[in-house]
Amino acid sequence: MFRLDPITQSKLQRFRSLKRGYGSFLVLCGLLLMSAFAELLVGSRALIVKYRGHYYFPTYAAFHPGTDFGEDYSYEANYRKLKDRFATEARGDWALLPPVPYNPYENSFEEGIYPPTPPSFSQRHFLGTDTTGRDVLARLFYGFRIAMTFSLLFLVLVYVVGIAIGCAMGFFGGVFDLLMQRAIEIWSNIPFLYIVIIVASIVTPNFLLLLGIVVLFSWTDMTYYMRTAAYREKARDYVAAARVLGAGSGRIIFRHILPNVLSLTVTFMPFTISGAITLLTALDFLGFGLPPPTPSWGELLEQGTSNLNAPWIVSSAFFALVIVLSLVTFIGEAIREAFDPKKFTIYQ
Amino acid sequence: MNPFTRFSSSIFAALAVVLASGCAKKEIVVTRDIGPEVEAYYKAHPDVFHFATPADLPKDLVWHDGSDVPEFSDPEAKHGGTANSFIDDFPRTLRVFGPDANGSFREFIFDDNGLSLIQKQPNTGQYYPGLAKAWAYDKDGKTMYFKLDPDARYSDGVPVKADDYCFLLFLLRSSYIDDPWSNNFYTKNYSNITKYDDYTISISWRDVIPDLEDKVGSFSPGPEHFYKELGDDYVQRYQWRLEPTTGPYTVKPEDLHKGSFVDLTAVPNWWARDKPFFRHRYNFDRIHLQVIRETDKAFEAFKRGDLDLFDLSLPKYWYDKLPDNDPLVQRGYIHKTTFYNQIPVPTYGLHINTAIPLLNVRDIREGIAYASNFDLVDQKLFHGDWVRMQTGSDGYAEVPFPGIHPRAYSVEQALAHFAKAGFDKRGPDGILMDAKGQRLSFKITVGGDVWIDALTILRQEAAKAGLELNIDKLDETTAFKKTMEKHHQIAFMAWGVAVEKYPRYWEMYDSSNASKTQTNNITNTADPGMDKLIEAYDKAQTMDEIRRLATQLEQHVYDNAAFIPAFKMPFYRVGCWRWIKWPKDFNVRLSQNTSQYGLEWIDEAAKKETLDARDNGQTFPPKIKVFDQWKAANE
Repeated sequence: MFRLDPITQSKLQRFRSLKRGYGSFLVLCGLLLMSAFAELLVGSRALIVKYRGHYYFPTYAAFHPGTDFGEDYSYEANYRKLKDRFATEARGDWALLPPVPYNPYENSFEEGIYPPTPPSFSQRHFLGTDTTGRDVLARLFYGFRIAMTFSLLFLVLVYVVGIAIGCAMGFFGGVFDLLMQRAIEIWSNIPFLYIVIIVASIVTPNFLLLLGIVVLFSWTDMTYYMRTAAYREKARDYVAAARVLGAGSGRIIFRHILPNVLSLTVTFMPFTISGAITLLTALDFLGFGLPPPTPSWGELLEQGTSNLNAPWIVSSAFFALVIVLSLVTFIGEAIREAFDPKKFTIYQ
Repeated sequence: MNPFTRFSSSIFAALAVVLASGCAKKEIVVTRDIGPEVEAYYKAHPDVFHFATPADLPKDLVWHDGSDVPEFSDPEAKHGGTANSFIDDFPRTLRVFGPDANGSFREFIFDDNGLSLIQKQPNTGQYYPGLAKAWAYDKDGKTMYFKLDPDARYSDGVPVKADDYCFLLFLLRSSYIDDPWSNNFYTKNYSNITKYDDYTISISWRDVIPDLEDKVGSFSPGPEHFYKELGDDYVQRYQWRLEPTTGPYTVKPEDLHKGSFVDLTAVPNWWARDKPFFRHRYNFDRIHLQVIRETDKAFEAFKRGDLDLFDLSLPKYWYDKLPDNDPLVQRGYIHKTTFYNQIPVPTYGLHINTAIPLLNVRDIREGIAYASNFDLVDQKLFHGDWVRMQTGSDGYAEVPFPGIHPRAYSVEQALAHFAKAGFDKRGPDGILMDAKGQRLSFKITVGGDVWIDALTILRQEAAKAGLELNIDKLDETTAFKKTMEKHHQIAFMAWGVAVEKYPRYWEMYDSSNASKTQTNNITNTADPGMDKLIEAYDKAQTMDEIRRLATQLEQHVYDNAAFIPAFKMPFYRVGCWRWIKWPKDFNVRLSQNTSQYGLEWIDEAAKKETLDARDNGQTFPPKIKVFDQWKAANE
């Protein structure tokens, strides 16, 4: 069975004891879990419909046309209206809707009122609607899911590339190191924002393309740290011992050095995530991010700042951003403190 | 100016910079005289440039002088003061021809400033004297005669004479100005100009047309003494030199602060100042044009009182940023005015590329038309005061299409048409599929952010009819380029339309422009029936015939369903500080914006009073007015 070594265990113990960081970690995990099942909490499809004795579970199934429930249209049933109809008919049919019964794309217009409309509990627009009548909470929630997916994928890709190249540079040293350093210096001097702007003006960026471009220009940071760490570690006795035993470079890097420098990467992770969220938000804000109508925080912020007369838009996006970034930062601080080498490492 | 001309002009700007930098090292000190070359050109083209004597004038000419035409300015108007306005970019050149000259600044120094031979009364559509004091028609229906006003002067004091008109035709046909469109237009269409004496000329159009006055009467002079140094280096040599104008305003070299502001100054002792139709107009002594690159910033400057007026046509400004209950409005400092004008409207809508598979099926296009809920966009996004565009050629007062209306949103109709094209069952996400499993999904190419809100609503509504519309948002230049190269599936855009008597069809619908890049036929329409009609239309000689053919053409456009009309704004609306005064009807029917005809004036006393009042809290009665005297005619 996989067992953590005592030092890592005590680090985790220490992390758990840091109340603010650990609390933030739990909250963020909770949010992530909720967003993974966002359709159950925020969405226009009913969770359960009972109609003429049959039960329907539309959330994760194929769409049901209105005609399935006795409506006269062939497009997707409007479950909010259906629920009202069932209530007035009182024939034992019912529909259970998510707490926020709107999906992030649909425009709900009300008679005589022009969007954006302020928060309303009776309409279940808990944070109001945006300039085209879409529910702000729904867009925030799905925007969170997209931003987190983006950040986590970004994290994995940047670390895989950055660690592999960084370790190789540190381990091999010499000409390879020298050439890679220069190459990285040149590469990181390419103005990333301009590249994104140029690409976004030629093609409409989708999720993967945007991720690809961002990763392409972000992996370099990690190499510096890994290179130093690998340089330091390769001079240690255990590396020499492994080499004497006949281990190859790959084995030494990935089985011996990497586990020993991993704590360094762990402390960077939260900051990488908050960086990625900020970056995606900034790109969306500037209009070079994900294509409309993808729900996104940057787009909400942009809408909000150009419609300050509808303060619920900008304040929702602002507070959501502040809360999530604070959570991530608290976690990061706690990890940094828990993994502080001064506490656990003894230099020989 | 529509965004597309702006971007094409920015491309020209880049080109001009390259040219200019390439030639910067050469010192040009030669003085030249284009005169002999002009003379030689006249001699080489005797059929176009004709020199006759007054005795050669037809004897039975009936001269018109516009004395029965009502004036449209307000006699109350006071002359003087400085107007404060803004431009969103510094002009790239002061030239009025050639690369880059067709920018939005040209209207200040040329289009809305210089006079032409005769001008159109913007309310009645009659003509009044401009540089010509009388005009007459030849029996051939192609030629007009003009008696020039001997009082006419350029802003540098030089009198305007018959030779200047001949010179303009030479200039616009010459390759020096690097302006292929003008070269083509003035070579193809103006078949003759004849000088009878220094103050009598005639000009002929290639064919008989019903709006000869608009085409021939709009001719203006070219100051030969200014263009004396004309040559291959015209573009650089004249880049920052403003040609002497016959109009009310000019730019002095010291008033050109590059990147920062431009001041227009009233021409001292302007020759037409007290002439009928020009008196009580162009009332400011000075017009200060500050460069403010962001519209929102300009709006803040306006609210501070730094700008006199601001265009509030977008609902965002009219309803949200300066609502009727805004203190500045309620205290009577800023007046809000809506003015219904009556001009041809830009063709906002979906331009479907009929050369793309699936989109070449008419039933699919009709389905898309039925699945496009522009009415909802108009009602909900534009507060119901933008309205659905009815045809591709709305707003031509003399060419109405009362029988043609766009297809109203209908899920059933859309589904029926899609089913005819084989898309008859919905996939798991509600989007229609055909027997091969192909989804009914298209991309709408759009430039910039302005229309994204409208298109997201359109997308949601189309999904109800089983149609997926993905928004292909690009930057404006790229979107336009993609469309001009006919790489789009559906483009959401508009062609800016000139204020003319009747619409044009050849550019947008003739098959000779289909399947070719860089033409306006972005729907790739190639319909032999339409071609025949267009040919007849371009040769039509009377308005009745034009109306009859235009109706048939417009019916074809409707049946073809490659253009789906979106919306139009039948008015413009402005906020304006109370020191700017207007005629009692506010403006004129054919005005495209408030200042085009120079009818407003400034009341300096009211300005001081208002600014003092703002500081000490005194208020005035609020004024929120709608001028809808031309509204009915436009809808």
